[in-house]
Amino acid sequence: MSDLKIEGYEFKPGYRGMAEDTGSAQTMFKGVHWGKAMMWIFLLSDTFIFSCFLISYMKGRGSTPVEWPNPSEVFALHVGGVDVPLLLIAIMTFVLITSSGTMALAVKYGYEKNRKMCGWLILATAIGGLTFVGMQAFEWSKLIHEGVRPWENPFGAKQFGSFFFMITGFHGTHVSIGVIFLFIYAYKTFAGHYDERKRGWFTSIKGDYVEIEILGLYWHFVDLVWVFIFAFFYLW
Amino acid sequence: MEETKKQEQTTTHKIGIYLWIWGLLFVLSFFSYMVDWFQFQGLLRWTLILIFMFLKAGLIMAFFMHLFWERYALVNVLLWPMTAIACFIFLMVAEFQYTLFTRLFYFFIGG
Amino acid sequence: MSEDNNDKIIIQSQSSESISGGGSGSTTDIDYVRPAEVGDQDLYHGHSFITKWVFCQDAKVIGVQYFLLATFTGIIGLILSWLMRLQLGFPELASFMTAEHYYQFVTMHGMIMVVYFLTALFLGGFGNFLIPLMVGARDMVFPYLNMVSFWMFFIAVVVLLASFFVPGGPTGSGWTLYPPQSILEGTPGSGMGILLMCLSLILFVAGFTMGGLNYLITVLQARTRGMTLMRMPLTVWGIFTATVLAMLAFPALLVGSLMMSLDKILGTSFFMPTILQAGEVLEYGGGSPILFQHLFWFFGHPEVYIVALPAFGIISDLISVHSRKNIFGYRMMVWAIVVIGGLSFFVWAHHMYVSGMNPWFGFFFATTTLIIAVPTAMKVYNWVLTLWRGNIRLNTVMLWCLGFIVTFVNGGITGIFLGNVTVDVPLSDTYFVIAHFHMVMGIAPLMVIMGAVYHWFPLVTGRMLSEKLGKWHFWFTFLGAYSIYFPMHYLGFIGVPRRYFEMYDSPYVTSAVGMNEFISTAAFIVGAAQFILIYNIIKSLKTGKPAGKNPWQANSLEWLTPSVPPEHGNWGDRLPVVHRWPYDYSVPGAKEDFITQTTPPSDVTNSEVEKT
Repeated sequence: MSDLKIEGYEFKPGYRGMAEDTGSAQTMFKGVHWGKAMMWIFLLSDTFIFSCFLISYMKGRGSTPVEWPNPSEVFALHVGGVDVPLLLIAIMTFVLITSSGTMALAVKYGYEKNRKMCGWLILATAIGGLTFVGMQAFEWSKLIHEGVRPWENPFGAKQFGSFFFMITGFHGTHVSIGVIFLFIYAYKTFAGHYDERKRGWFTSIKGDYVEIEILGLYWHFVDLVWVFIFAFFYLW
Repeated sequence: MEETKKQEQTTTHKIGIYLWIWGLLFVLSFFSYMVDWFQFQGLLRWTLILIFMFLKAGLIMAFFMHLFWERYALVNVLLWPMTAIACFIFLMVAEFQYTLFTRLFYFFIGG
Repeated sequence: MSEDNNDKIIIQSQSSESISGGGSGSTTDIDYVRPAEVGDQDLYHGHSFITKWVFCQDAKVIGVQYFLLATFTGIIGLILSWLMRLQLGFPELASFMTAEHYYQFVTMHGMIMVVYFLTALFLGGFGNFLIPLMVGARDMVFPYLNMVSFWMFFIAVVVLLASFFVPGGPTGSGWTLYPPQSILEGTPGSGMGILLMCLSLILFVAGFTMGGLNYLITVLQARTRGMTLMRMPLTVWGIFTATVLAMLAFPALLVGSLMMSLDKILGTSFFMPTILQAGEVLEYGGGSPILFQHLFWFFGHPEVYIVALPAFGIISDLISVHSRKNIFGYRMMVWAIVVIGGLSFFVWAHHMYVSGMNPWFGFFFATTTLIIAVPTAMKVYNWVLTLWRGNIRLNTVMLWCLGFIVTFVNGGITGIFLGNVTVDVPLSDTYFVIAHFHMVMGIAPLMVIMGAVYHWFPLVTGRMLSEKLGKWHFWFTFLGAYSIYFPMHYLGFIGVPRRYFEMYDSPYVTSAVGMNEFISTAAFIVGAAQFILIYNIIKSLKTGKPAGKNPWQANSLEWLTPSVPPEHGNWGDRLPVVHRWPYDYSVPGAKEDFITQTTPPSDVTNSEVEKT
């Protein structure tokens, strides 16, 4: 961020700069919008929530003497006469990454004040999120159909069902909340709330394109969590 | 507001970099899917899973979440608390091994 | 120093400040302070009664709301403790109490006092009121979120208290809520009680997260010109670090509560092993009860410091102001707070030495626990050294400070006992533990709260509290608290177990009974003495001496607002500009014994001030 300028303050790079930023007056994160700093700290806290979930899952799975079902088989999809392992999960991953990419571009066009492009990309992100939630619903119903429940599991350890529904459910809730906000922000972008700096409905804070980046942070975080869930839940 | 004007200059990057990262994420996801497809097992599987996972997470955080362009003050504030999580993970690994040991010992050997 | 000289300097300083305010980059000007980075905050001013006092977005009002609601729940906690003590000391008078009631009261007393009273009071109450004022902000950075935070806390309290009225009553599983017993038949409140407790905790965490984000971003991103982190009062440092801990520790509680509710509602087996109950094998199986303990204490230990660190911070300021001396080793104090905060995430399983966890953990956690004693001890030395040769005002606030140091040292030393595995094993689950944690995180923070109330009451209301009543209040509380908890150490040594409804036919009976009667009597008196404070507040609101501006001659910004009590927006037209740390008391050669944070360097002549 070398081109950021603050009157009377000299930016230094690296750890030297970190020491000076921390020791300086007024702000520690120079040039970072309040809302963006808040979102980062919130995501840090949320990271701890998901870490606790995944650590519990690790503890539960590691300490069970009963056999843990093989996710590669459980989540296989029967396509054209063959079982393709993890097919649905792979598609979900691709959908979520796609939506993450459109979100990143939306943030970019937002800062360039390209209202139309930004709005369409947010809408695309929202639709990607919606697809993801839909596919998750399909996955859930498939498993429930096969007899997996939070309290029991025909393939082995009881905890498999419990952790699966809890962790993907919690992640899915995050996605759903994100989708709702994406639709709201798409509307606000198209309606020009950020160009006109219109005040928020509840907070009465003036609108700004930085809000798109804040929402983007949240959305990328949802994707980030999925990376970990994919690795630990489906590939382990 | 003056602040936002400055931000605008700094957080806009060339579209190419986003497309590159986007592509890389697809490729890495494909690779991690291949880990399961070829049914690698044991240490190799774990190494590959973790490498791809951390690469993907790193790319998302660094470029999509702009952490690569943020100043060190923010980056360090966000990353250092992870040591507590690392410690928690490390200890819980020791704990589940012990729990498994006691269960196997008392249920099957000692029981 | 002659009068004329003074006047000239003041004029000079004003002119130079207006130059620097205009943004001239002249570095030769010793009063130069960098211009503002962020534009002035644009605030929503309430107009109706509801937006001004109920759904209010002013951090000061929210702080008072938090304070009052937390005090209300605290009084409920106090009444529960009376009932418990009545049962223990005079069981024949408490015939209306069954063992189930006792367990429920123990549980609710613990949870209310730790989470809904102390945490909410320190962070929600003092944090909201003091952070914006002390860092020179107009308000918290997200006032709307802050308002929602309070009302989430309100709902959490309502849900918590609702559990008293559901079938089965509140949960009686001890404040740690350990499964499997907390959700199994036979434990009081194992139905709705535990569910409401979990729900209430989840709501509390959600609400607190909103508030916590506000405190953190206000401290990090909304300080006034010239306010560096190392010029912040230690109060802000304490509350800030505690909030960081809360943001990172509450997730574990949230996850634990959520998983336990699922175990109860859906019959999942996260924490539930195979269980044989009344000859019948339950549906559960394969879960790990110890996982809950890890999650709970991963939250629970930082929680101790969430309560203690604001207390450390506030006490440092009170001691410094009332002994007219700069705090000894300010930087050391800051680093100690930060180090304690960081280490608190690596010590949690010292609460679980007897739980059956991996036996190697004892070594790791005993080591980290003893390391954490080092910065804590440093802080105690620094408080004592601040007092040393100070110009001590022996008023009520100072009495509470001294009371804090004594009780905290007492509780801290017993902490060293309990931190060592070999000593802890025989002492754990005895009254020694009760004595330890009540001393260190019950009474000691309470002393700080009382001191802080006497100190900041003039700022909140514009009137002083009565010193005479305050001293009565102090001596009753201090001596009474010692009478309660000191004998408990002995009870612990002879092996009286905690959480027991009665002593039954045990060998301790002879020596414990008399002591229990004594403790209970003291508890009644101390509890009643707290109402002196309430009377004092109500009386002083009407008839207290008007405080005027800065009654304690303090340096920090909260006393320097244009109007006392401060109005919404805190600072009138212009934000203050900070030139120094808040501890320039009794500077040799200075014209008064305090130099406020806003005094420009050119106004300080004939004296050498440490550069901060």
